[in-house]
Amino acid sequence: MNITINHEKISERKTDSGENLLEIKNLKTYYPIKGGFFRRTLGHVKAVDNVSFEIKKGETFGLVGESGCGKSTTGRTILRLLDPTDGQIVFDGNDITNLTGAKLREARKDFQMVFQDPYASLNPMQMVGDIISEPIKNYYPRKKSKEIKTEVMDLLERVGLPSDAYYKYAHEFSGGQRQRIGIARALALKPKLIVADEPVSALDVSVQSQVLNLLKELQDDFDLTYLFIAHDLSVVKHMSDRIGVMYLGNLVEVADKHSIYDEPLHPYTQALISAIPEPDPDKKKERIVLQGDVPSPSNPPSGCPFHTRCPLAKEECSEIKPQLKEVKQNHRVACILYD
Amino acid sequence: MEVLTEKNTKQTPSKPPKSMSPWAIARRKFVRNKLAMVSSFFLLTVMIMSFLAPYITTIDITRVNIGQMSLPPSGEHWLGTDKSGRDVFVRLLYGGRVSLTVGIAATALIVVFGTVIGSIAGYFGGVVDSVLMRFTDFILNFPFLVFVIVLNAILFGKLSGVWVLIVVISVLGWGGVARLVRSKILSEKENEYILAAISIGCKPSKVIIKHLLPNVLSTIIVQATILFATMIVAESGLSYLGFGVPTEVPSWGNMLSTSRDPDVMQNMPWTWIPPAVVLTLTILSINFIGEGIKDALNPKSYR
Repeated sequence: MNITINHEKISERKTDSGENLLEIKNLKTYYPIKGGFFRRTLGHVKAVDNVSFEIKKGETFGLVGESGCGKSTTGRTILRLLDPTDGQIVFDGNDITNLTGAKLREARKDFQMVFQDPYASLNPMQMVGDIISEPIKNYYPRKKSKEIKTEVMDLLERVGLPSDAYYKYAHEFSGGQRQRIGIARALALKPKLIVADEPVSALDVSVQSQVLNLLKELQDDFDLTYLFIAHDLSVVKHMSDRIGVMYLGNLVEVADKHSIYDEPLHPYTQALISAIPEPDPDKKKERIVLQGDVPSPSNPPSGCPFHTRCPLAKEECSEIKPQLKEVKQNHRVACILYD
Repeated sequence: MEVLTEKNTKQTPSKPPKSMSPWAIARRKFVRNKLAMVSSFFLLTVMIMSFLAPYITTIDITRVNIGQMSLPPSGEHWLGTDKSGRDVFVRLLYGGRVSLTVGIAATALIVVFGTVIGSIAGYFGGVVDSVLMRFTDFILNFPFLVFVIVLNAILFGKLSGVWVLIVVISVLGWGGVARLVRSKILSEKENEYILAAISIGCKPSKVIIKHLLPNVLSTIIVQATILFATMIVAESGLSYLGFGVPTEVPSWGNMLSTSRDPDVMQNMPWTWIPPAVVLTLTILSINFIGEGIKDALNPKSYR
């Protein structure tokens, strides 16, 4: 997919404030596997296993990886829609790892989510106006309904929907428009962080670029920070300032987008980058084809999670689990080749 | 896609033609279903006549008239009189009042209670779910008939007339609804809009009431119509056996129970055929209405 709109305007944004909006330390999210007569816990699916990264104010952090590698679980755990098994989530200086009840609800105001499936993420029984005004009503119950309506109308206009959408139901809109409704709902509380969980993977390509550019414009207007989850590498490249690559619940490489795309260090990242289709037919590209399948996250391989499929694996890879280490400036990788 | 930035180009819409809510679409489909509409009309007529019985007839239903015992249908007594000289048509009207009251009240109690238990169990899951559902299983395992007789005996005199029966069958009847609602909630809560509702700060109660229940309501409504029919049958069945509403209160079941007497069965069909026919037609029309609602609420059916 090639996106060539508004490049001069959006490609160079200031992200050098350097302040961390979100810090995740050794985050683990395990799903218990229950079985047997008494539903004992037989094991765990390690969806997110010891992931640490940070997101700076105003930047877009892209999270890539193949299906089932724990990207979405990471995103949902950060927003506390799932409970972390272990680790720490620090948002804007506050530890939100163990918040519950009313305190958690209060904290949610500042981080919202844009969901993957534009069909399942909107309540079919609500009018669009109600969908978008609900977050405002939840947090500002005393606000006059007239004020709320004006706000919702502004939001509708801002995400590019006609104002008569207010009285319509979600089923009357196309996928791209529904995703705009979801974006408007996420924006209604003026959050600081938006986790976009594959926001365009369910849309067709022409609509994808519209929604992506909308997200970029909104980032400037609302001073948003994005955690952008996707499996489409060109989409991530278009959107992100920094990129984290996940494999089997582990973060294997974190760097800014140019380093990831120009000189990927981890063998898995190299294989991913080599799989991006090249539009120029004369350019010869060597494609790294990985053997085998992703191992089960309920029974991950010992040592490096990638050693079963790694073309450069050595003997000790099955024994030592490599930790994420800074090998160059702002470029961290978890691989013993760089120890 | 052009995004307008000029603030003053925007205007609040002057109430455009409201688009059809999912409920409005269902209503339209229902109205087009002839069988369901005829059934609704019939049921409505039965209900109106029953509940307005005191305004339709002035004949006292409890007074025994020895001079007019066992009369066949005539101009004075449209459906004749029974062995105690009471007008069958008038008893049919008042009986419908009792039978329908039992049906409606028991259904309402069962649906409310079952929905509350089922949605809490389904939404919270885990220990809450286990405790509530084991309790439900426990209720479902009671032997219905034995329990009705025992509870009837305990509650007799503490509650007036038909309310004993209503409470008894409601207490024993909510388990099925609770299970159904729970299973529906379990599948519905996996939708992303529920996560979205949590993320925009809805309390659990609000997530259940505003987001989950409207989306499982169609199933509950269909179940309620079936229950309504079942409850009327249960009233009649229990009254026929003598464990239902007290015998002095007219109900369709009590009227039918007079046919236990072989003499009445053979020689006075006008006393038991009318309640039997009305009962059957009422149950049938309720079932047709239920089917109609089911079709109307099913987005995949086009009728």
